[in-house]
Amino acid sequence: MTPLHRFGDLLRNSLLAVPLPLVRTVILTLLAGLCLWVLLLPQEAVARRDASGQRTANLRPWALLALAIQVVIYALF
Amino acid sequence: MRMNGSLSSIDLLVVLIYLIATIALGLYLGRGMKSGQDYFLAGRSLSWWAIGLSLVATDIGGTDIVGVAGAAYTHGLAVANFEWIGCVPAMIVAAFVFIPFFWRLGIYTIPEYMERRYHVSVRIVLALCWLVFMACNLGVMLYASAKMMIVSLGIDWTGYAWAGVSLAGHEVLGCAIVFAVLVGIYTFSGGLAAVVYTDVVQCVVMIAGCLLVLVMALVQVGGVAPLVEQIEQHDQQLADAGLSGNRTDLIQPVDTASPFPWTGILFGLALILSPAYWISNQAIIQRSLGARSAFDASAAYVAGALLKNLIPVIIALPGLAAVAVLPELSDGDTAFPLLAMRLLPLGARGMFVAAFLAALMSSVDSYLNAAATVFTNDFYERLRSTDSGTFEALHVGRITTLALVLWAIGFAWWLSKVESAGIYAIFQTLVSFFQGPAFAILLLGVFWRRATAAGALVGFLCGVFCAVGLFTLNQPSVLQWLGWQPLFKIEEPFLYYSIWAFLMTVTVAACVSLVTKAPPSEQVEPLLFRSSPARD
Repeated sequence: MTPLHRFGDLLRNSLLAVPLPLVRTVILTLLAGLCLWVLLLPQEAVARRDASGQRTANLRPWALLALAIQVVIYALF
Repeated sequence: MRMNGSLSSIDLLVVLIYLIATIALGLYLGRGMKSGQDYFLAGRSLSWWAIGLSLVATDIGGTDIVGVAGAAYTHGLAVANFEWIGCVPAMIVAAFVFIPFFWRLGIYTIPEYMERRYHVSVRIVLALCWLVFMACNLGVMLYASAKMMIVSLGIDWTGYAWAGVSLAGHEVLGCAIVFAVLVGIYTFSGGLAAVVYTDVVQCVVMIAGCLLVLVMALVQVGGVAPLVEQIEQHDQQLADAGLSGNRTDLIQPVDTASPFPWTGILFGLALILSPAYWISNQAIIQRSLGARSAFDASAAYVAGALLKNLIPVIIALPGLAAVAVLPELSDGDTAFPLLAMRLLPLGARGMFVAAFLAALMSSVDSYLNAAATVFTNDFYERLRSTDSGTFEALHVGRITTLALVLWAIGFAWWLSKVESAGIYAIFQTLVSFFQGPAFAILLLGVFWRRATAAGALVGFLCGVFCAVGLFTLNQPSVLQWLGWQPLFKIEEPFLYYSIWAFLMTVTVAACVSLVTKAPPSEQVEPLLFRSSPARD
């Protein structure tokens, strides 16, 4: 038993004690955090404007949709 | 050609039409190339939708289509983590932070950014790692896919005797050579534009072929609800026999028998390998650098992320459906091809073979073009101080592409001589040795003003050394010699190598940076990410 093995076992046993529902919550929280980040991004980072300054396309709803599908998948499975 | 003795003339016609259309499109796009920028970045003219489809097609290789379904058959839905949490979050972050940032810098390769931010030594070391990996991986992808086509899909070349082709004993190599020549023709001619627009066709063919198998499988089983019911019954039988079950769970415990424990998936895949892949892998990022605007580059990643949500449904779900249709398979990798052969009618089987070829070709062409770009841009032009905007760069790029095709065929030939299953695993693990460390120094370079060239170089080398060390210490022969127990208790712990290699790189790079002289701010400032981007 080397120090590397002892450290590995300690880490492994600690992580084994984490219940899977908590892991699911962590993953969902990360995804929800990303959704919030996308919501808070400035307009110039997510939208295209034409020469007159009119917004012609917006990526925010699509990015949110991609992440929302992930939230649903990880909530269900 | 016969597939399990039952590939009809219509099937062959479907495959032939796909191949002719792909090559014709590639050759058409190769007309009028004038410079290296046309060849390596498609003249910065690519649309978001083409890049988005190309990203997805490149990510799914021929071996992945069969392998992911095989892993789903053996280990369950957890393999879909690689396409879901292992892609979508990283692609969204990349879309709004890294991709538009790199596009605005006007770079051709990630190693080029490393020189601007750090030093030429960092560029050369990183470019060398990528070049060696991509060149060898070309041979591995060709050989592994050809072998899969011959063995798993049951291709029998004796049917070609009428064409005067005699490949007795060399079927796999022959198949690999055919693949290399087909991909080489249009990549040589059209560069990145040919790669991306043929990827669009290949992505559509790949999705259509796999979807067809999935629909037929669900019809056979009676729908989604009966499929879930049958899988749960099968899992219960496994659990009763003392084996692990729960094939419908994405989140697997730390002590799972599969290679996908949640710790590796969350810390290794979602937080390190996935962002590293989507943000710093040259074969992936190159097409976004060829976008017509920073917005198109971002939009491509968002579109790719949306499409990625669908991919496990079409490639992992057939593996799960095979649990119900073909419950007694000894090798999971045969699940998808057998399912296709059993369920698809004559004529539709050609669509599945075309889907397999599309997946293979879309990955090989991207690695071929990216390797040629790294060689031309980071070695040839850097050492000769020439410019990518010249005709000479185009000429060198094409010669390099040709040389890489020949190299890939030679490497595939060598693999056919060595014939060791471990070699494929080693090359797949190889990327995890340096992808984590490379991503770590990229992150530090983009976000931390104080990161220095010495810190980046020493950190990167220590990270790679850490990953290689852990890999070596996990080899059975080394463990036996040392009299040790394995350090990791799961099969193929490459996700864990990347975690430790990343942490080692960040720690060493930060420490060395803090004790070395800070770079001048006028040099570093334009190369740091700012949250408020400039307009295109």
